[in-house]
Amino acid sequence: MVAHDDDAREGSPSPAERRLGIGAPQDLAAGASLVALALFALWAAGDLPGGRLGSPGPGLLPRAVAVLVGLAGAALTVSSFLRFGAPLAGWKLRGPLFVTLGVVGFALTIRSPGLAVAGPLVALVSGAASPETRPRELAIFAVVITVLCVVLFRYVLHLPIPILVIPGLVTI
Amino acid sequence: MADLFHNLAFGFSVALSAQNVGLAFVGCLVGTLIGVLPGVGPIATITMLLPITFGIEPVGALIMLAGIYYGAQYGGSTTAILVNIPGEVTAVVTTLDGHQMARQGRAGVALGIAALGSFCSGCFATLVIAGLAVPLTRLAMIFGPSEYAALMVMGLSFAVVLGRGSILKSVAMVLVGLLLSTVGTDLETGVERMTFGYLPLADGIDFAVLAMGLFGFAEVLRNLETEGTRDVIHGAIGRLLPSRADLRASVGPVARGTLVGAALGILPGNGAVLGPFASYALEKKLAREPRRFGRGAIEGVAGPESANNAGAQTSFIPLLTLGIPPNAVMALMVGAMTIHGIVPGPLVMSKSPNLFWGLIVSMWIGNLMLLVINLPLIGIWVRFLKVPYRLMFPAILLFCCIGIYSVNNSPADVVFTAGFALAGYGAHKMGLESAPLLLGYVLGRLLEENLRRALAIGRGDLLIFLHRPVSAALLAVGLLVLVVAVLPAIRRGREEVFTE
Repeated sequence: MVAHDDDAREGSPSPAERRLGIGAPQDLAAGASLVALALFALWAAGDLPGGRLGSPGPGLLPRAVAVLVGLAGAALTVSSFLRFGAPLAGWKLRGPLFVTLGVVGFALTIRSPGLAVAGPLVALVSGAASPETRPRELAIFAVVITVLCVVLFRYVLHLPIPILVIPGLVTI
Repeated sequence: MADLFHNLAFGFSVALSAQNVGLAFVGCLVGTLIGVLPGVGPIATITMLLPITFGIEPVGALIMLAGIYYGAQYGGSTTAILVNIPGEVTAVVTTLDGHQMARQGRAGVALGIAALGSFCSGCFATLVIAGLAVPLTRLAMIFGPSEYAALMVMGLSFAVVLGRGSILKSVAMVLVGLLLSTVGTDLETGVERMTFGYLPLADGIDFAVLAMGLFGFAEVLRNLETEGTRDVIHGAIGRLLPSRADLRASVGPVARGTLVGAALGILPGNGAVLGPFASYALEKKLAREPRRFGRGAIEGVAGPESANNAGAQTSFIPLLTLGIPPNAVMALMVGAMTIHGIVPGPLVMSKSPNLFWGLIVSMWIGNLMLLVINLPLIGIWVRFLKVPYRLMFPAILLFCCIGIYSVNNSPADVVFTAGFALAGYGAHKMGLESAPLLLGYVLGRLLEENLRRALAIGRGDLLIFLHRPVSAALLAVGLLVLVVAVLPAIRRGREEVFTE
């Protein structure tokens, strides 16, 4: 996934895509992804008994729907060569990367050592996703918002969220 | 008629208990807040707050969640008028004339008429729900599996037509949603489907995880890309109360907007979204000088604002009478009901009348509260608008993480949510929108159940759907809507509505 320059691609397909006859790159990507998803679902639901129409089995609907998804995907793919459409907008890696890292970090730390660590972690790591972030401001904000969350979720709303758990030492 | 008043009086006795009034207030306040803050929608908020409602009795929990939903409609228009950013999808049209009014120094009047219009339409919609509930519930009682299946198919085709972007892509996303809903243990045979032996998947993909990923996290990812300057109105907001001339100009639009919004809101398949657009188009057609629209015409605020609030409320009708959620927020309501052991559908009214009538009356009370929350407190909400997004999104993410973790106390859910967020973000890049997917997912299980039952009753004959008049009619309407939407002339009109 390469980050493209959005402005340069606004409007029409790139020369390379035009040579291949692709009129609507966005539709092509969508169609191909849908076909891939359909094939995956057909494989995953392959061993389920389908039953008959009179007594439908567990596999009937998943397979039927997967086939329909595949057909819709195929139609999109074909049409992407026949008509012009929107280009594929550029992917920017920074946002998704840091947000995902922050959220996964939260998942890894929430049980132990708990929210006292997981809270600032998700705020600090995901904060890096925006180019406008100011580090010092974010650091203060991360602490404040975590304290606020502890008070709100644990003490006002009584959710069983671990605040600080260090095995053998502290359990709050 | 006497019955209606008797029922409403009973509703008042439930909704006016100290706890329920308090919860309605909290719901309206939180709803207004998230409506005002761009980037946090009602779906993400309700998912976040779902765990909190575990401890509250069901009536109060639903009253609060409902308050969040229609409170967000109010708050969404505040940002639309003051910042030119629609806080919610339904406030998109309000930006056209509302923001122009604000630029002409009439921000207060725009906010005032929006709130008053919403209040009037809210009162009317409450009566519509109360009046239609009994007959529709009776209708639902004679519905068999084939009618239910046909109704849901019709709802899904409405969802496709009312969605943004290409019809083919919307159809595909509805289907993907249906496909996702089949993951998990098959209800009839107990066979595990597409779970790959992973135990937590046996219950299916958690709706909260899916919704939060697609609408909470993915929204943040999208917003991070389109960070632009916000055009906050700096000057004074001015007087809030519209003048007599303003009121005279608005009475018609409010009445028409209310009717249009209420009617569209009843449609399964999220018809409520269409209300403001339809109302705006209608007012522009009826206006003596259509050129004033887009330049601060008060009719362009009064009509759509009434329509969106009416639609938000009447969209409870399919859920409460037929048990079919017409949009993702209603699907979350299903979740909240099931947690408390209430099965949404025609039986709610007879089995838990306190919930049914209490919820309906609380909506009227909530509308009254929103008038108070919105108009005198507008200065506070404006201050919230000035919080920069660079600080808001880490807070949103943290709240979402805590919320999703608390649903099942499972860190794995948090990771799955991030996965769905990336998938939703990628799909958005390919022009595949998440809203139809979510509705497909929501209706998937119910649709499959009824489809299989209907097939079993018909001994495998697909024609059973056509032999029964009601299901045949519903399917015909669904098909008609799809065909009409594909017709070139209508398609152009649809694109205009959404791009205008």
